Amino acid sequence: MANQDISFAQINDDVVRSLVVTGRNYYITLAISILVTFACFVGPWFYQLRYGIGAAGMNHPTVWGTYLASFIFWIGLSHSGTLLSAVLHLTNSEWRKAMYRSAEAMTLFSVMVAAMMVMVHVGRPWFVHWAVPYPNQMEMWPNFRSPLMFDVMAITTYMTGSIIFIYMGTIPDFAAVRDRTSGWRHHMYVLLSLGWRGTDTEWNRLHWAYTFLAVLIVPLAVSVHSIVSWDFALSVVPALHQTIFAPYFVVGAIYSGTAGIVTVMFVLRKYMKFEHLITKLHFDNLGKLLLVMSLLWTYINMVELFTGWYSESSEEYEALGFRLFGFYGPLYWEMIIFCALAPLLLISKRFRTSFVPMLILSIVINIGMYTERFLIVATSLPRQYLPDAWGMYVPSLVEIAIMVGSFGMFTTLFLIFVKIFPSISLYEVKETLPEPQPKSKPQADSGVS
Amino acid sequence: MSTNALGLFDAPSTAIEAAGALKGAGFDSPTVISPIPLHGIDEVLGKKKSVIKRFTFFGALFGGIAGFSLAAGTAVMYVHATGGRPVIAIPPFLIITYELTILCGILATVCGFILGSRLPAFKDRVYVPEVAVDKFAVTVSCEDTERLKRAQEILQSSGAEEIREVEGAQ
Repeated sequence: MANQDISFAQINDDVVRSLVVTGRNYYITLAISILVTFACFVGPWFYQLRYGIGAAGMNHPTVWGTYLASFIFWIGLSHSGTLLSAVLHLTNSEWRKAMYRSAEAMTLFSVMVAAMMVMVHVGRPWFVHWAVPYPNQMEMWPNFRSPLMFDVMAITTYMTGSIIFIYMGTIPDFAAVRDRTSGWRHHMYVLLSLGWRGTDTEWNRLHWAYTFLAVLIVPLAVSVHSIVSWDFALSVVPALHQTIFAPYFVVGAIYSGTAGIVTVMFVLRKYMKFEHLITKLHFDNLGKLLLVMSLLWTYINMVELFTGWYSESSEEYEALGFRLFGFYGPLYWEMIIFCALAPLLLISKRFRTSFVPMLILSIVINIGMYTERFLIVATSLPRQYLPDAWGMYVPSLVEIAIMVGSFGMFTTLFLIFVKIFPSISLYEVKETLPEPQPKSKPQADSGVS
Repeated sequence: MSTNALGLFDAPSTAIEAAGALKGAGFDSPTVISPIPLHGIDEVLGKKKSVIKRFTFFGALFGGIAGFSLAAGTAVMYVHATGGRPVIAIPPFLIITYELTILCGILATVCGFILGSRLPAFKDRVYVPEVAVDKFAVTVSCEDTERLKRAQEILQSSGAEEIREVEGAQ
């Protein structure tokens, strides 16, 4: 919960200030992130479009590379935002209220970046609309038995749901900001707030609509990453063809998403000056959630290894051996240290309530989680059944650049967001404060009953 | 456009009491405007239950039927025979059905919200900017000056810190 000493008016002031007062550091960061996006994402992608998909290091047998690893990573990172927000809304968790808006924004932009990674991966993005079922002169319709079509439907639904969820929850705040801004900002907030006033009917409808959306979005979020896992698990590739994959991906997604929220919360708290709204309590609770998710993630990793070993099939042994001790073995152990061992520090409350260590740990976890996604594609396809079909995969410079550029794109989108959307939910933070009491006593009854 | 009595309160409890008093005095549907959702207001004003759930349900139902029809219809119209497996494959098609159920449920919920809360509305509504910060307004439409005066008296006696006369629709 927010610091209990602040007033309603101060919350409005703080949030409006975060939108209209922009320091030099913001512009510098925005300029750098735009530069990184163009230099590392747009430029290399353009080069790949001109040169062909051969610019990437992907080749037979490893036809999936860092583009798909980045895709899984960004979809995963998107998971905690909307999902966590919806779950905590349904369970009436007060501490959610100061942080959920930014977490939902993280979801939205992560899904957008993930969708861009698919565009990059397919090589000829101008044909991507072929995945959409629409009558066409080619009489070509998608094959709905393919997990890739599951993906298209799931990600479209998730992106639509996330946009609506964050927008609907922000309408009252747009109205509050509308009354305090002028010029183009005022016109923008007039449109975005839809003429919201805050009447009892509007609040009632918002409550029900938001609750129904939350109910719909929780299973949706679980389905999205399960479906992403089936892109891999429904193939017959050793080390991928496992029933554990759906929960493995969902847990990994919530894990890395929660770590992402910690990173974003730290940045917002420090640089948007929300110290009294985002408190140690938020970091403590997020830390506990991270700890639980890290233990679950570790357990599922052990089960995955055990399943491979227990299968007693030579191809599974080979794939496992390659992952643990092959060319990318050091990365595997780095992942274990970053995602299974380092998070054990979260057992200490002192650690959970220390801001800088939490920031460092959240970044470390997400480095580990990116490694996990990379290893999924880079250590399975090179070791399929027949040794003469084995191969090696090393990402090319273009792929590495685009991976770095995707972070630039995410940062750019998020920086634009914090200047348009109130990054703290005004009305919900106000709800966590003590209810205002009447200053003046009602006058004597004038005979009205 | 009608004339409205509007009382500004500094606490939700007094605003709710004032709304109840207006209702008790025979005023039709007083409106409470607030910076936060007020708990217990629906009991005092006796609002109807939301119809949004019907939108959500029928939207989701439509989505489910549309999703399965899309997948099954495509499979039947463009047969892609695979090793003796059924043309209409239930498990994968259920995933498409599920996703479209959720998608249409979400879109229908938004429609329900928009229609139910009478948005968008950009002009001629009773509103004062203080209610977006820390004030709670109770407002009621009055047909004549006598009713207006009566409403203002009730608001005053309920502890309003400021009474205003505003034009606009409720």
